[in-house]
Amino acid sequence: MSGPLLSVQAVHRSFGTGPAAVHALRDVSFEVEPGTMVALVGRSGSGKTTLLNVIGGLDRPDSGTVVVDGLDLGGLDEDGLSRLRRERVSYIFQTFGLIPVLSAAENVGVPLRLARADPARREQRVAQLLGLVGLDGHAQQRPGELSGGQQQRVAIARALAASPRLLIADEPTGQLDAETGLAVMALLRGVVESEGVTAVVATHDPVMMALADRVIRITDGRVTP
Amino acid sequence: MRIRWPRLHWPSVRGRARADAGPLLLTAGVVTAVVLLAGSTPPLIRQTSDDATRDAVRRAADDAAVRVEAEWPDDYGPNGGRMRSPQLAADVSDVAARAAGELDPTLSSALRPPVTSVSSVSLMITDGSVQRRLRLEYLGTPTGQPAVTWVAGRAPGPSTTDEFLEIPLAGPPWPVQVGLSEADAAALGVGPGDRIPVQDERRTPYDVRVTGVFRPADATDPAWSAAPWVLQPAANRDGLGSTRIGALLSPESLPDARLALRSDQLTRVVRFDADPTALTWQSAQALATSVAGLKGGSAVSAERDPSFKWSTRLDSVLADLRDQIATTSAQASVLLLGLLAAALLVLALTADLLTRRRAAALTTARHRGASLPGLAAELTVEAVAVAGPATLLGLALAVALTGSASLTWVAPFVIIALGAVPAFGTVTAARATRDRRTPANRSARRRQRHTGLIRRVALDAAVVAVAAAALVALHQRGLGAGTGGDGALPAAAPALGAVAVTLLLARMLPIATGLVLRFALRSRHPLVLFGAARAAATSARVLPAVALTTALAVGAFSITLYATTQRGLVDGAWQTTGADARLDISSDAPGSSAGVAGRIAAAPGVRHAVEAEVNDNARFIADSTSVPARLIIVDTEAFGRLLADTPLPGLPASAALTATRDGAVPALVRTADGSLTPGVQFRLPVVTNQSIALTAVGAAPALGSGEDTVVIDSRTATAAGLTVEPNTVWATGPGAAQAIRAAGTDGRLTIRTEVLDERRTAPLTSALARLCLIAALVLLGLSVLGFALAAAANAPARWETLARLRTLGLRPRDTRRVAAGELVPATLFAAVLAPPLGALLAGLAAGPLGLRLLTRQASPPTTVTPWWTIEAVTLAVLVVALIGTVAAESATRRRRRLGETLRVGDR
Repeated sequence: MSGPLLSVQAVHRSFGTGPAAVHALRDVSFEVEPGTMVALVGRSGSGKTTLLNVIGGLDRPDSGTVVVDGLDLGGLDEDGLSRLRRERVSYIFQTFGLIPVLSAAENVGVPLRLARADPARREQRVAQLLGLVGLDGHAQQRPGELSGGQQQRVAIARALAASPRLLIADEPTGQLDAETGLAVMALLRGVVESEGVTAVVATHDPVMMALADRVIRITDGRVTP
Repeated sequence: MRIRWPRLHWPSVRGRARADAGPLLLTAGVVTAVVLLAGSTPPLIRQTSDDATRDAVRRAADDAAVRVEAEWPDDYGPNGGRMRSPQLAADVSDVAARAAGELDPTLSSALRPPVTSVSSVSLMITDGSVQRRLRLEYLGTPTGQPAVTWVAGRAPGPSTTDEFLEIPLAGPPWPVQVGLSEADAAALGVGPGDRIPVQDERRTPYDVRVTGVFRPADATDPAWSAAPWVLQPAANRDGLGSTRIGALLSPESLPDARLALRSDQLTRVVRFDADPTALTWQSAQALATSVAGLKGGSAVSAERDPSFKWSTRLDSVLADLRDQIATTSAQASVLLLGLLAAALLVLALTADLLTRRRAAALTTARHRGASLPGLAAELTVEAVAVAGPATLLGLALAVALTGSASLTWVAPFVIIALGAVPAFGTVTAARATRDRRTPANRSARRRQRHTGLIRRVALDAAVVAVAAAALVALHQRGLGAGTGGDGALPAAAPALGAVAVTLLLARMLPIATGLVLRFALRSRHPLVLFGAARAAATSARVLPAVALTTALAVGAFSITLYATTQRGLVDGAWQTTGADARLDISSDAPGSSAGVAGRIAAAPGVRHAVEAEVNDNARFIADSTSVPARLIIVDTEAFGRLLADTPLPGLPASAALTATRDGAVPALVRTADGSLTPGVQFRLPVVTNQSIALTAVGAAPALGSGEDTVVIDSRTATAAGLTVEPNTVWATGPGAAQAIRAAGTDGRLTIRTEVLDERRTAPLTSALARLCLIAALVLLGLSVLGFALAAAANAPARWETLARLRTLGLRPRDTRRVAAGELVPATLFAAVLAPPLGALLAGLAAGPLGLRLLTRQASPPTTVTPWWTIEAVTLAVLVVALIGTVAAESATRRRRRLGETLRVGDR
């Protein structure tokens, strides 16, 4: 398929009604080509997370269209959105979002379980991804036994497990120290290239911006040049 | 030094209260409900005790009356004859006045005005008709004789105009004038001017003349209760088949009756009937002391009239009642403590929920410089604002319901309710700023874990030790005084036992959920894994499992206690009656019962009827020691068949009882002190220096009140030389009672169903049954509440996990299954553990609880566990709680955007 992997057109999203309404997104439009890494930057409250939620189908826009990998999210019901997230879109969160009682390998395998992947293929893929993020020797450790950076690596591996087309990361280095954050950013950059995935990363970090193929600035809910 | 009081930040207090209005209202609701229950139960027990006191005294009737018998002074005249005393009626009244004067105010206020009676022995009426006996009766009250209307003739008058007459001792019968009621006159077929031919047991004739026939102005006048046969012929008062008729003496004819009869043939008795309406349990206790003093003093005190002989069984009636009330109070306190324990655990869950919801706000406040005393004070103010009005409301409702409220159990509960949220919140705030980071190296982390483990084990050991001490105290001391004081520890044994066992097993939950997680990892169903993972993540929290399981276990305990009591009452009624119906024939008329059992057995609706001789005052000799016991001589073969038709234990094979062994008559024995046990050789003395050798071959069934009993076969007894005179008939079958009535044999009929109904509806028994059921219902409600609170406490983490899984592609409808999967272990834990734990605790406590005092059984009732009911109720409650909680959460989640949940998680 040619064309943009992600197309956001004239998206509006507001919360509340009347004078107290908060306009989180106003007429946001942009496109992202496949295999690129886009840094979404803006101040706190500028609408970055709202935009990521809309892109990933976690939230629906009041108006406008979002097309991911050729799928218009507006036409999908809840099950369709779930399928989208299971097969085409993955998330990486600031707080990692790992299941504490599962090992690193088991956490990475969660999307594959949801996709009902064959156990053998799952184990193979998990091992491959843990190797990719540099955690070969930590497969059986639980999140509590890993450092913050290692946990985020596990989260990245998990996000890649189902071979998504679009990777959405919301402040992925927000809870990490500078050095670890840098390593995670480099890893993200690497997996975008090695896995051929498209990534939209919300960040404040100038290093991340430098690593991105493109930077989209958002101010008060509007994409600014 | 100046004390610095913590400064309160009122906007924070208001803000927190507004944000957590729901849980705070829930807390207020729980406090109100528990205060209502805890505050109203003691007054209700008191009221029930009062009702029971009145009921017991009412039922005791004759036994509760206080009687004083006054000896007659000599009436010998100067010539050796007997002097007529025209003022005898006034003397009798004076006796009543003097007796009333000897009563202390406590006793006096609980007794009705005295009824004085002068009664002759029963004289045989010799008119050749059926067996009838006559008694001469003089009745008096402080206001005079009971009012009558003379419908024929006139009132009895003096037999002589010479008031101060002396008659010779061996003279002719002295005439006595009497009046008869219409019914008695009709029964005798006499009227004014007729004589009633009577003679005493020495065949000495008496001259009794009827002067009139009367009609009572008020047949319910208490005066007549002293001699009801004066109004109506009374059956079986003087032996089987006999009828007693009373002849009324007047104040004028009383001196003649004194002359006509020997001194030992006429007794004067002042009877004070207990007034149930004037009694309360508290006054009854003082009354028991007064009665004991009166009875003791009547024999020895020189200050009292030595001619008075006081007698009453009121003290033993009250002693029995005291035991029953103490037992019931103690049982109520056990249930109440179980309920309070469950309520406290639920309150702890509420405090935990509130603290979790506020953790972030408290941490922020602490980071911004709020002092711990300040935060504690703010939380305390909030707790007082919530629990204070709730407590007052609960107390007001208790007062409205019962007229008063007790603070005995309310106070400690409210103190804990007030302290829980501030304590939890302050600890959370303190932890937020405690500079205790996770150690970097493993050994330090291990040491930290070990320290935590040791603290936890110490806490668990303390709980187990207290529970063990309570259970030991319960078994060694019983429940003692019941509520409060020394009785509190043993009374808390079931609740503490439930908490301790649940706590220990809840500590194993993480192991179990870990195992389940291992299995789930092998499963191809991701939902199973996610549910198991959430369950494993939350299973280390023991409070929800302990609260839920304790509430359900104590609920099961209540239901088991209820079922055991109800079954015990049924068994007790069987024991008391021995069959569906029993006829006790007076031993005064031997031989008259011959064939009665056969007639009853032939009646429709009767399956078995067996006659026996029952001697309650038999004495046996075993090892040169006299052993008093009830002797039952019965056709053991027929008796065995009859017993087999009842739930009572049966008899050994009749061959064992009908064949003599080395000349000894085989017998079944039952003695409380073990003086007669199977294998023992003993003897039954029959006449001076003669006895029948007996050998105990088995255990006798517990019949009656469980007295010591010896059963021998009637044929063997006859062969051994005993004369068997049946005086009891037992019958089974739906028509047993009717058949006994229809048999036309006079005697005392005891019907099992009536005994059972009477006991079931007795105030103490019915109150305990109601309390068991109410406690069970409240505990089930508390368990549902505990379940919901525990689920709510984990809801934010669960929602976040589910939201994360949604971002990975979990379908919305599957989130409910995962949420249910997380809650299933606690549900299963409670479902599996609570019913057997409740039943086990009921089994352990049934004996020390003294239930047999209510069920009137010889031994503690067998614990009856209604497994199906308990399991069904427990499962129903848990399933409803689980489905309801998951559905409510799901509905709430639907109202929140997924992104919103994730943002909350990211904060």
